[in-house]
Amino acid sequence: MLKLGRHSFADDATLMMAIVNRTPDSFFDKGATWAEDAAFARVAEVVAQGAEIVDIGGIKAAPGVEIGPAEEKARVVDFVARVRETYPGLVISVDTWRAEVGDAACAAGADVLNDAWGGADPELVDVAAAHSAAIICTHTGGVTPRTRPYRIEYDDVVAAAIHDTVAYAERALAAGVARESIVIDPAHDFGKNTFHSLEITRRIGEMVATGWPVLVSLSNKDFVGETLDKPVGERLTGTLAATAVCALAGARIYRVHQVVETRETVDMVWSIAGRRPPRRAIRGLQ
Amino acid sequence: MIALVPGVRALLPGHASLEDPVAELRAACLAAVGRLGSRVRIVASDAGGAEVAVSLVAAVGAVVVEADETGVLLVGNGSAMRTEKAPGFLDERAAAFDEGLRVGLLAGRPTPDPALAAELWADVAPLIGLDAGSAADVLYDDAPFGVQYWVITWP
Repeated sequence: MLKLGRHSFADDATLMMAIVNRTPDSFFDKGATWAEDAAFARVAEVVAQGAEIVDIGGIKAAPGVEIGPAEEKARVVDFVARVRETYPGLVISVDTWRAEVGDAACAAGADVLNDAWGGADPELVDVAAAHSAAIICTHTGGVTPRTRPYRIEYDDVVAAAIHDTVAYAERALAAGVARESIVIDPAHDFGKNTFHSLEITRRIGEMVATGWPVLVSLSNKDFVGETLDKPVGERLTGTLAATAVCALAGARIYRVHQVVETRETVDMVWSIAGRRPPRRAIRGLQ
Repeated sequence: MIALVPGVRALLPGHASLEDPVAELRAACLAAVGRLGSRVRIVASDAGGAEVAVSLVAAVGAVVVEADETGVLLVGNGSAMRTEKAPGFLDERAAAFDEGLRVGLLAGRPTPDPALAAELWADVAPLIGLDAGSAADVLYDDAPFGVQYWVITWP
């Protein structure tokens, strides 16, 4: 069983985590959901599209204007409360590395702390434990939050990702987070060049084999763009190809901009893998 | 007690979908097989039909026997050429063939022409020689995928 805060899912379930940016400057939507009502409309849209999880973030990943904890909370916490009240059945994740922000978000109703920066704030696991929240343990190669990778090399990027995420998962476990509430994420593009992200994708099955549920965040990222020489806005096909590879290997959670397309891709691959019956099969069986 | 079901492979547990495309047919089949008692003898024209029958018998908690049965389960169906979308495409003779077979089944004594049945992809071998009386209880009579199915029991 996978337990994400208030919500539980079977071990063979796949989940769509829809990105909801409360930022004026994120790379994909470029501030389209910066206004609270626009972000709320985005939540309504992805819920209607079948997303099980929303991942609410108040700071873009790339470098830029510094956003302190107070401003991050102002962007995220009341919004989480509003979403919680309106959608009691929805899993709410908050994309933050800060324990202080995570604590306030969980108090407002968040179920998951998505720490995209690999445990930069060591107290985040204590917050997750205190609120019975889930935590996403990512690999960044130890970089500082909101920095771009620069000449980072690994002897074996997959081994490094497994080592660091599993260590983070065990640290969360020791802090009191429930075993079924811990997820690992190799964090494509974070502390990685395109070759690293391609190798992580190719070998994602090794992460699945650790036994920890795996989240992948592939959506429209630079490794897709560089591989196909496509700008943001023309990366859906490449994103779905990478998604299919991860799904075949058994990744469980998909952090996405495009819910409908990703859900169809994952369902199709999950059925090819023999983990999901077809929706309605009668051809040749009449 | 005698029952007739079609050898529809979508009824097999291994071919289950998230949404059952044969939910009504399945319910009728289980109701019919449920009337056959605890020991069921199967009469099917091929291994595929027998496989479907075995799964239905298991689903109602009965066992398959070769003799000393409490009921007989026949596996068969009408033409598979009822429409252009049918497995065997449309054959204009199919509707009349099925209508004749229907009359025979309701009377408990079907007499289909085996040669024509083969041309029309009808599975009738287990029905030939049936003499079940006229008290047929029809639980299902439709051709939802261009194949004519009946679920019938006779006392």
